[in-house]
Order: sequence, then structure tokens, then C-alpha cells
Amino acid sequence: MSTAALDPNDAGPSSSVYQTISRGLIEQGTLIKQGAEAKVYSLASLLPKPAVYYPPSSSSSSVSSSSTTATTANSTDAGVILKYRFPKKYRHPTLDSTLTASRLTFEARALARASKAGVVVPKVIWVDEKGGVLGLERVEGWSVREVLGGGAEGEVEIEDDEAEEELPVDVDVSEGKRRSVGEDNEGMKALRELGVTQEHLMRSIGTALARLHITTIIHGDLTTSNMMVRLTPGETEPFEIVMIDFGLSSTAQFPEHYAVDLYVLERAFASTHPQSEGLYAGVLEAYAKGLGEKRWKPIETKLKDVRRRGRKRDMTG
Amino acid sequence: MTQSSGSSSGSKKKVSPLPRPSRRLLCLGIEGSANKLGVGIISHSPPDFPSSDSGGTAKPTATIVTVLSNVRHTYITPPGEGFLPSDTARHHREWVIRVIEEAVRKAGVRMGDLDCIAFTKGPGMGTPLQVGALVARTLSLLHNIPLVGVNHCVGHIEMGRQITSSHNPIVLYVSGGNTQVIAYSQQRYRIFGETLDIAVGNCLDRFARVIGLRNDPSPGYNIEVEAKKGKRLVQLPYGTKGMDVSLAGILHAVETYTKDKRYRSWDQLDLDRDGAEDVITPHDLCYSLQETAFAMLVEITERAMAHVGAKDVLIVGGVGCNLRLQQMMGIMASERGGRVFATDESFCIDNGIMIAQAGLLSFRMGQTTPLIKTGVTQRYRTDAVHVSWRA
Repeated sequence: MSTAALDPNDAGPSSSVYQTISRGLIEQGTLIKQGAEAKVYSLASLLPKPAVYYPPSSSSSSVSSSSTTATTANSTDAGVILKYRFPKKYRHPTLDSTLTASRLTFEARALARASKAGVVVPKVIWVDEKGGVLGLERVEGWSVREVLGGGAEGEVEIEDDEAEEELPVDVDVSEGKRRSVGEDNEGMKALRELGVTQEHLMRSIGTALARLHITTIIHGDLTTSNMMVRLTPGETEPFEIVMIDFGLSSTAQFPEHYAVDLYVLERAFASTHPQSEGLYAGVLEAYAKGLGEKRWKPIETKLKDVRRRGRKRDMTG
Repeated sequence: MTQSSGSSSGSKKKVSPLPRPSRRLLCLGIEGSANKLGVGIISHSPPDFPSSDSGGTAKPTATIVTVLSNVRHTYITPPGEGFLPSDTARHHREWVIRVIEEAVRKAGVRMGDLDCIAFTKGPGMGTPLQVGALVARTLSLLHNIPLVGVNHCVGHIEMGRQITSSHNPIVLYVSGGNTQVIAYSQQRYRIFGETLDIAVGNCLDRFARVIGLRNDPSPGYNIEVEAKKGKRLVQLPYGTKGMDVSLAGILHAVETYTKDKRYRSWDQLDLDRDGAEDVITPHDLCYSLQETAFAMLVEITERAMAHVGAKDVLIVGGVGCNLRLQQMMGIMASERGGRVFATDESFCIDNGIMIAQAGLLSFRMGQTTPLIKTGVTQRYRTDAVHVSWRA
């Protein structure tokens, strides 16, 4: 029953129906990025082109709707991101499907919980854990890494020292190759025009993180790429931090878990933005304030432990 | 040619700061940070240097790098035992003269021809490291040759880059003591992800000890061989945390399976060969351990690739010669349109030539280590080294 499958409230469409729809959605979407574990597609709206799902043979009422929805879609949809966790062939198939399903479910749950608790995250629009597809609200803005001018990306992308040695000529060998890093990126410019400094941005990250951790959700993959800056014209704060990519999230039980989460971010800062490492202190400060003394103290102690542990590992080779 | 670095201007292509050698430069490297004692001699020659065997693939404009000799002797312990620092140091002391003589003889050079002597400054086991450093100092004083202290991890990376000609890859460094995902940025090898507890090689070695595998040629290799006969994937914890991994839990879990009722040790394997339906064999455990641990490593490497937008992967370190790991990494990289570079065991496993290579690069940048600073250190972060020879 293809009509029933489109109704999200319908109790029990078989997983294959979901997967057919998921596949249809992906086909309509445009691939915008291949992340670490998923292909990300962009879609104007979730409502599928009716021609695909309302075969002409179905009841007359749905035929009539099919002719209209094709163009009107859902005007409130700002745009949809589809995260397709495609099967990883390097992994054992059993391991892979278990991981995919559990991560996707966890991601959807964490997003729902976070959103309920007032953390700014993308809305969940579509969940198909067997097919590995998650539909999310599209966040307009820039990643924090873009805003900070993520040093490492530019560095790695250029093809430096082609033959390891310098060539006898040292003129501008290539102009376009190197992406300019820092200063003039669009995001920082927009923020600066609104009077937002980097320190301000760091504070907001810390506060957003505290709000997330209060819900006992551990992000699991905190990097500057996984935080978006979205402008909020008309609000008191000119922008908000949107946490994305909850694929490795889990629920915390001990201060240790929060500490590891923070440590992961700390390392991401150090490696991606070596020039702005000092800024991270601002994140922590706002984080501590957001959590409150009582919650922060045990995490702070653990964080010191975790830091030491990470460093200790550089011993034998 | 004299330009040092293009970092001042963003649109310019960066030019390697490494000066071209004016004549053939020779470096002897001594490595002894763990149970392998390695000595190697490398030469860097200017492009037009009349060399009998040129570096082969080198372009006429590039410096010709030639491995003249690469000798190694490994301290192998009986099954069920690891190597202790004092015993390992004793092994190194017993063998170091012979290994050096062999390396010099194979290279066809005299000690006096050497331009510098490189030794492993760290990280590693203290006492074995001291043996290498002591010998390096002695040779330096005897023949009046400058010393260069080398970070072991940087040695691996530089040799890997040289051998595979992958110039700016994401590096997965996996060995008995290290598990790191590294990317180069602004004259440092920055660690993007690493193990939060034990190294993957350590995890494999310790498990090999539990199930009584031999340490010859290496416990990891024996696990790889046994894993090929494994069929059943037992469930093990999968611990990726962002770009870091946790491996202690997986070791504990796989050890627990050896106490499971269904487990059959080696001597029980033949007993119920035919009727067996629900048994777990050592093969299965090796297989499951490899599949799970390597999947984690490939995943964090992929994360780092996605994070920095890199295409190529270089695998270095002792675990890097595991063909299953290379295969898994290859599948991942091809899915992303990238390539994997790995070296064979002569360069993957700790060796002297990699120390010589990294040492000679610093030497060409004018960096030598004064005698007073030739002490060794057990803890020496990869990102603590200033990589002056790269732009």
C-alpha cells in the first residue's frame, strides 16, 4: 500500500516500503558531501515527487492530489538533508549493519531528546534505520571550522613540495590551488558585521555544549566541523550554535564520559586550528558556567585525568 | 631556490625549504626503541650525481635517495612472554656491533665517509633506547661525526613518505606502542586521533600471549595467519570516540571469550572437529579481534580524511604490514576516491633506515644535536617535533 507508507503515523509499514521511499528520496537529492560515515544529500523538500509513489492505478483521490503536490510541496520545509549511511565494504557485514542501525537510531533519539530539552539541533524528519537513511532539517549557515578558517584543511589540500624538492623556479607556480585560509571567510565576515568576536563565538559554543551535556547526551564526535553557526535575525543573540552529527552519541553515566567528550573537542581545536588553540579556554569557561559549579567540579577533575592519559600513551614504539 | 617558505603569501604555492645537497650525503641511523635493533645507511645525492644505482623512480630534478643498507635483529621471547626492558637492552648490547658492522659492510662505505649519525631519541623503552644513544655517541666521538636525535614516529612517517612517494597523506601510525592518526600542518605532524588507552599492536601482542601464539617472527603476524582460518565473528565492543579509539575493552572482552564454555583451545580443536556446532576457536577470536579493531582504525582514519579533506592514506608502523588492515584501508580509500600507501615489512617494522632518513632531512636543514643534548626520552610526542624540512 503505497499511500499508507507516506503517512508517517502509520503503525507498521514493512521496512522494505521505507527503504523504497528512502531510495527514492536519495535519487531526488543531490549529493553535497561524503562525510566520514555517510553520504549527505540535499533535497528541497521531503515530500517525494508524487509520480513516483502514487501510481496511476491507485485510488482517484490520490491521483488528484498527485497532480497538485508536485509543485506546491510543503512550503514550510526549509530544505532537507538526507544522511545515507551506506554499507561500508571494509567492515564485516554483520558488524557493519549492527553499527549502522544502532548509530542511526541513537542519532535520531539523541536529536529528539536534545531538541525537547531546548538544545538547538536539526529537526528529525525521516528515520529509516534498516536502510540507513536519516532525514534532517537543513541548517543554513557555516560550520565553526569554516568560520575559524580551519587551518588544517587548507594545508592538506594543497599539493605542496611536489617532488619533495623545490624546483629551480620559485615564481607563483599556482595561484588558484591554495584556498585562502582565515581572515576573509564569509561566515566570520557576517559575524563581524554583527559585532560578534571570536571570543563571543567560543562562549556560545561552551554554553551550547553545557546545555547538551545537562541532558546527559554525549555527542561523541565533537569537532568544529560538527557545530554550525546559524544567524538568528531578530533575536537578542545575533546567532546560535547548532550541534550536528550525533552519529556517535551516547548517554553519559559518569563524569568521565563528559570529560572524554570535551577532550575530543579540545584535540580537534588543537589539530584543526593550531593558531587559535588559546580560544578553547573560552569554550571551557562558558561551559563550566553553563553547567554550574556542582556539576563542573567532577568533570574538571576527570578532564585532567583524561588529558594525562591521552599523553601517556606516547611511550614505546 | 633560496626562498625559505611561501607561508607569507596565501596564494603562492609552498616551496620546500630543503636545500638541495651539493654532494652525496650519507647518514647512518640506529634504532633500538623496542625489541628491534636496526641500523641503516641512506644517501641523498644531487640529481646529476653519477650514482651506480640511482633511486630508480626519482625525477632528474629531485634529490636521489638511496637505501644502501638496512639491517635488523629482533629480540624474540618465548611464547607467552613479552620483552622486558632490561633483557631487551642486553640483547641490543650483544648485537649492536655486529649489526653496525654488517650495515657498513653492505653499504660499501667507511665510517669516515658518514656525514651524520642519527639515533632514536624517543619515544620508546628507556634502557634499550640508551643502548642506541650510547653507541651513537661513541661512534660520533671516534670518527668526529655530528649527531642527530630523531623522533621515532617522525622516522616512520618520513620513511613511509619517501618509499611510497605520497607527499601529503593522512598517516595511520600503528605499532606496538603507538596508535595515531596524523596529518601534517604548519611544520608539525599533528595528531588527529589516537588510542585512549593501549596501542593496537599491544592489544594484538597481549592477546597472542593469552592464546599462546609464538613470538616468532612476531605475535601480530601469527595472529594474522590464524585469523585467516577464522569463520565466526564474535561480538566485541566497538570503541570509537570521535577520532580516538579505545582498545583496552576489546582486549578484555576477547580474553573473556577464552574462558567461555564454547571456547576450544588449540589442543581441544581436533576433538570435536566434525560434531561441533557451537564452538569458538582461537582462529575465530583472532579473526574477530582483527575485524573489529581494524574496522575501528579504518573508521578513525576515514574520519580524519573527511575532516581535513585529504585523499591519500599512508600506513606506517609494525601493525601496518598486516595485509588485512591494508586491504580494509584500501576499500575505504577507493570508496572515497583516494589511495592507500603501505610499505613492506622491511620499512614498516622498526628499522634503522627510517631513523637515518629523518636524521638526514634534519641534517640538511642544518639541525644537529650537540652531545650534551643526546639524552633519550621515553615520552616524545610526534607533534613535539618541528618539521623544518617541509613547507
